[in-house]
Amino acid sequence: MRLVLPRNLRDEIVAHAREAAPQECCGLLLGEDEVVRRVLRCRNVHPTPETRYVIDQAQVFDAFRESRDFDRELVAIYHSHPRSPAYPSPTDRAEAQWPEAGYVLISLRAESPEIYAYRIGEKSVREIPLVEE
Amino acid sequence: MPVTVRLPGALRDVTGGETKLTASGATLREVIADIDHRHPGFAARVLDPSGGIRSYVNVYIGEDDARARGGSGALVPDGSEVMVIPAMAGGR
Repeated sequence: MRLVLPRNLRDEIVAHAREAAPQECCGLLLGEDEVVRRVLRCRNVHPTPETRYVIDQAQVFDAFRESRDFDRELVAIYHSHPRSPAYPSPTDRAEAQWPEAGYVLISLRAESPEIYAYRIGEKSVREIPLVEE
Repeated sequence: MPVTVRLPGALRDVTGGETKLTASGATLREVIADIDHRHPGFAARVLDPSGGIRSYVNVYIGEDDARARGGSGALVPDGSEVMVIPAMAGGR
Protein backbone atom coordinates (compact mmCIF):
# COMPACT_ATOMS: atom_id res chain seq x y z
CA MET A 1 0.00 0.00 0.00
CA ARG A 2 1.23 3.45 -0.89
CA LEU A 3 -0.19 6.83 -1.76
CA VAL A 4 0.75 8.61 -4.97
CA LEU A 5 0.72 12.41 -4.64
CA PRO A 6 2.11 14.26 -7.68
CA ARG A 7 4.45 17.16 -6.96
CA ASN A 8 2.05 19.87 -8.13
CA LEU A 9 -0.70 18.58 -5.84
CA ARG A 10 1.74 18.28 -2.96
CA ASP A 11 2.65 21.91 -3.55
CA GLU A 12 -1.04 22.81 -3.58
CA ILE A 13 -1.79 21.36 -0.16
CA VAL A 14 1.35 22.96 1.29
CA ALA A 15 0.14 26.29 -0.11
CA HIS A 16 -3.26 25.66 1.47
CA ALA A 17 -1.62 24.93 4.82
CA ARG A 18 0.45 28.11 4.65
CA GLU A 19 -2.51 30.26 3.67
CA ALA A 20 -4.61 28.87 6.52
CA ALA A 21 -1.91 29.17 9.23
CA PRO A 22 -2.15 29.68 12.15
CA GLN A 23 -5.38 27.76 11.62
CA GLU A 24 -5.48 24.16 10.46
CA CYS A 25 -6.44 23.62 6.85
CA CYS A 26 -8.30 20.54 5.65
CA GLY A 27 -9.51 18.94 2.47
CA LEU A 28 -9.91 15.86 0.35
CA LEU A 29 -7.44 14.19 -1.98
CA LEU A 30 -9.52 12.66 -4.75
CA GLY A 31 -8.50 10.31 -7.50
CA GLU A 32 -8.62 6.61 -7.97
CA ASP A 33 -7.55 3.93 -5.50
CA GLU A 34 -4.08 5.04 -4.34
CA VAL A 35 -3.44 7.80 -6.90
CA VAL A 36 -4.39 11.42 -6.16
CA ARG A 37 -5.67 13.33 -9.20
CA ARG A 38 -7.04 16.48 -7.61
CA VAL A 39 -7.25 18.44 -4.40
CA LEU A 40 -10.56 19.60 -2.98
CA ARG A 41 -9.88 22.38 -0.49
CA CYS A 42 -12.51 22.32 2.23
CA ARG A 43 -13.66 24.73 4.89
CA ASN A 44 -12.58 24.05 8.45
CA VAL A 45 -15.75 24.72 10.41
CA HIS A 46 -14.47 23.80 13.88
CA PRO A 47 -14.96 26.70 16.32
CA THR A 48 -11.29 26.52 17.38
CA PRO A 49 -9.55 26.02 14.03
CA GLU A 50 -6.10 26.81 15.45
CA THR A 51 -5.99 23.37 17.02
CA ARG A 52 -8.85 21.37 15.53
CA TYR A 53 -10.57 20.71 12.24
CA VAL A 54 -13.94 19.55 11.02
CA ILE A 55 -14.48 19.49 7.29
CA ASP A 56 -17.66 21.31 6.31
CA GLN A 57 -20.17 18.50 6.07
CA ALA A 58 -21.89 20.13 3.09
CA GLN A 59 -18.70 19.72 1.04
CA VAL A 60 -18.37 16.07 2.04
CA PHE A 61 -22.03 15.49 1.23
CA ASP A 62 -21.66 17.06 -2.21
CA ALA A 63 -18.55 15.01 -2.97
CA PHE A 64 -20.22 11.80 -1.79
CA ARG A 65 -23.46 12.42 -3.65
CA GLU A 66 -21.80 13.42 -6.90
CA SER A 67 -19.34 10.55 -7.00
CA ARG A 68 -20.17 7.31 -8.72
CA ASP A 69 -17.84 5.45 -6.36
CA PHE A 70 -16.80 7.67 -3.48
CA ASP A 71 -14.91 4.94 -1.65
CA ARG A 72 -12.65 4.48 -4.63
CA GLU A 73 -12.39 8.19 -5.37
CA LEU A 74 -11.53 9.27 -1.84
CA VAL A 75 -7.80 8.59 -1.68
CA ALA A 76 -7.11 10.56 1.48
CA ILE A 77 -8.21 13.25 3.89
CA TYR A 78 -5.61 15.94 4.56
CA HIS A 79 -5.11 18.51 7.25
CA SER A 80 -2.32 20.62 8.65
CA HIS A 81 -0.59 20.89 12.00
CA PRO A 82 0.72 24.46 12.04
CA ARG A 83 3.00 23.92 15.03
CA SER A 84 3.14 20.20 15.79
CA PRO A 85 4.61 17.16 14.02
CA ALA A 86 3.05 15.53 10.98
CA TYR A 87 1.86 12.60 13.04
CA PRO A 88 -1.72 11.77 14.07
CA SER A 89 -2.47 13.36 17.43
CA PRO A 90 -4.66 11.67 20.03
CA THR A 91 -7.54 13.78 18.70
CA ASP A 92 -6.80 12.70 15.13
CA ARG A 93 -6.86 9.08 16.21
CA ALA A 94 -9.97 9.41 18.37
CA GLU A 95 -11.98 11.13 15.66
CA ALA A 96 -10.79 9.13 12.64
CA GLN A 97 -13.80 7.37 11.13
CA TRP A 98 -12.52 6.56 7.65
CA PRO A 99 -10.27 3.51 8.02
CA GLU A 100 -10.17 2.83 4.29
CA ALA A 101 -8.91 6.31 3.42
CA GLY A 102 -5.44 7.67 3.87
CA TYR A 103 -4.80 10.54 6.23
CA VAL A 104 -2.22 13.04 4.99
CA LEU A 105 -0.72 15.42 7.54
CA ILE A 106 1.25 18.56 6.73
CA SER A 107 3.39 20.08 9.47
CA LEU A 108 4.61 23.65 9.25
CA ARG A 109 6.67 23.55 12.44
CA ALA A 110 9.92 23.72 10.45
CA GLU A 111 10.83 26.00 7.57
CA SER A 112 10.56 23.07 5.20
CA PRO A 113 7.10 21.49 5.45
CA GLU A 114 6.83 17.85 6.48
CA ILE A 115 4.21 15.63 4.84
CA TYR A 116 3.39 12.07 5.81
CA ALA A 117 0.53 9.69 5.09
CA TYR A 118 -1.11 7.18 7.43
CA ARG A 119 -3.89 4.70 7.81
CA ILE A 120 -5.72 5.29 11.04
CA GLY A 121 -7.65 2.31 12.31
CA GLU A 122 -9.64 1.88 15.47
CA LYS A 123 -6.58 0.85 17.43
CA SER A 124 -3.62 1.45 15.17
CA VAL A 125 -1.75 4.07 13.17
CA ARG A 126 0.36 2.88 10.26
CA GLU A 127 2.50 5.09 8.09
CA ILE A 128 2.12 4.47 4.38
CA PRO A 129 4.71 5.47 1.78
CA LEU A 130 3.99 8.77 0.07
CA VAL A 131 5.45 8.92 -3.42
CA GLU A 132 5.30 11.43 -6.25
CA GLU A 133 4.47 8.85 -8.93
CA MET B 1 -42.29 1.82 -0.72
CA PRO B 2 -38.93 1.23 0.95
CA VAL B 3 -36.24 3.85 1.30
CA THR B 4 -32.68 3.52 0.06
CA VAL B 5 -29.83 4.06 2.51
CA ARG B 6 -26.38 4.84 1.13
CA LEU B 7 -23.25 4.57 3.22
CA PRO B 8 -19.56 5.09 2.55
CA GLY B 9 -17.17 2.20 3.03
CA ALA B 10 -16.30 3.72 6.39
CA LEU B 11 -19.45 2.10 7.77
CA ARG B 12 -19.43 -1.15 5.86
CA ASP B 13 -17.88 -3.05 8.75
CA VAL B 14 -21.26 -3.01 10.51
CA THR B 15 -23.36 -3.84 7.45
CA GLY B 16 -21.55 -6.92 6.25
CA GLY B 17 -19.92 -5.00 3.42
CA GLU B 18 -23.11 -3.46 2.07
CA THR B 19 -23.04 0.23 1.17
CA LYS B 20 -26.50 0.47 -0.35
CA LEU B 21 -29.40 -0.97 1.57
CA THR B 22 -33.14 -0.85 1.43
CA ALA B 23 -35.08 -0.27 4.62
CA SER B 24 -38.49 0.72 5.80
CA GLY B 25 -39.77 3.11 8.43
CA ALA B 26 -41.75 6.29 8.73
CA THR B 27 -39.04 8.12 10.67
CA LEU B 28 -35.28 8.13 10.53
CA ARG B 29 -35.17 6.33 13.86
CA GLU B 30 -37.37 3.55 12.45
CA VAL B 31 -35.27 3.26 9.30
CA ILE B 32 -32.11 2.93 11.40
CA ALA B 33 -33.78 0.38 13.66
CA ASP B 34 -34.79 -1.66 10.62
CA ILE B 35 -31.18 -1.82 9.46
CA ASP B 36 -29.97 -2.52 12.98
CA HIS B 37 -32.32 -5.49 13.14
CA ARG B 38 -30.43 -7.03 10.22
CA HIS B 39 -27.03 -5.58 11.11
CA PRO B 40 -26.73 -5.29 14.88
CA GLY B 41 -24.47 -2.45 15.88
CA PHE B 42 -25.50 -0.15 13.07
CA ALA B 43 -27.75 2.01 15.25
CA ALA B 44 -24.97 2.51 17.79
CA ARG B 45 -22.75 3.95 15.06
CA VAL B 46 -25.38 6.48 14.01
CA LEU B 47 -27.31 7.33 17.17
CA ASP B 48 -26.11 8.30 20.62
CA PRO B 49 -27.40 6.60 23.78
CA SER B 50 -30.24 9.09 24.06
CA GLY B 51 -31.41 8.33 20.54
CA GLY B 52 -30.17 11.48 18.84
CA ILE B 53 -27.86 11.59 15.84
CA ARG B 54 -24.27 11.20 17.04
CA SER B 55 -22.30 14.43 17.00
CA TYR B 56 -19.72 13.24 14.50
CA VAL B 57 -22.15 11.60 12.10
CA ASN B 58 -24.15 13.43 9.45
CA VAL B 59 -27.39 12.10 8.01
CA TYR B 60 -29.22 13.42 4.99
CA ILE B 61 -32.73 12.69 3.82
CA GLY B 62 -32.66 13.53 0.17
CA GLU B 63 -31.01 16.95 -0.01
CA ASP B 64 -31.74 17.87 3.58
CA ASP B 65 -29.64 17.59 6.70
CA ALA B 66 -31.73 15.38 9.00
CA ARG B 67 -30.85 17.60 11.98
CA ALA B 68 -32.73 20.44 10.34
CA ARG B 69 -35.79 18.20 9.96
CA GLY B 70 -36.04 16.99 13.53
CA GLY B 71 -33.04 14.72 13.94
CA SER B 72 -33.73 11.04 14.42
CA GLY B 73 -37.45 11.79 14.59
CA ALA B 74 -37.43 13.27 11.08
CA LEU B 75 -40.04 11.88 8.74
CA VAL B 76 -38.67 9.82 5.87
CA PRO B 77 -41.01 9.92 2.87
CA ASP B 78 -41.53 6.74 0.87
CA GLY B 79 -38.89 6.31 -1.79
CA SER B 80 -36.42 8.67 -0.13
CA GLU B 81 -32.69 8.29 -0.28
CA VAL B 82 -30.98 8.49 3.11
CA MET B 83 -27.23 9.06 3.32
CA VAL B 84 -25.19 8.48 6.45
CA ILE B 85 -21.75 10.11 6.32
CA PRO B 86 -19.27 10.12 9.21
CA ALA B 87 -17.60 13.44 9.91
CA MET B 88 -14.02 14.11 8.90
CA ALA B 89 -12.40 15.66 11.91
CA GLY B 90 -9.38 15.78 14.17
CA GLY B 91 -6.72 18.22 15.20
CA ARG B 92 -3.48 18.79 17.02
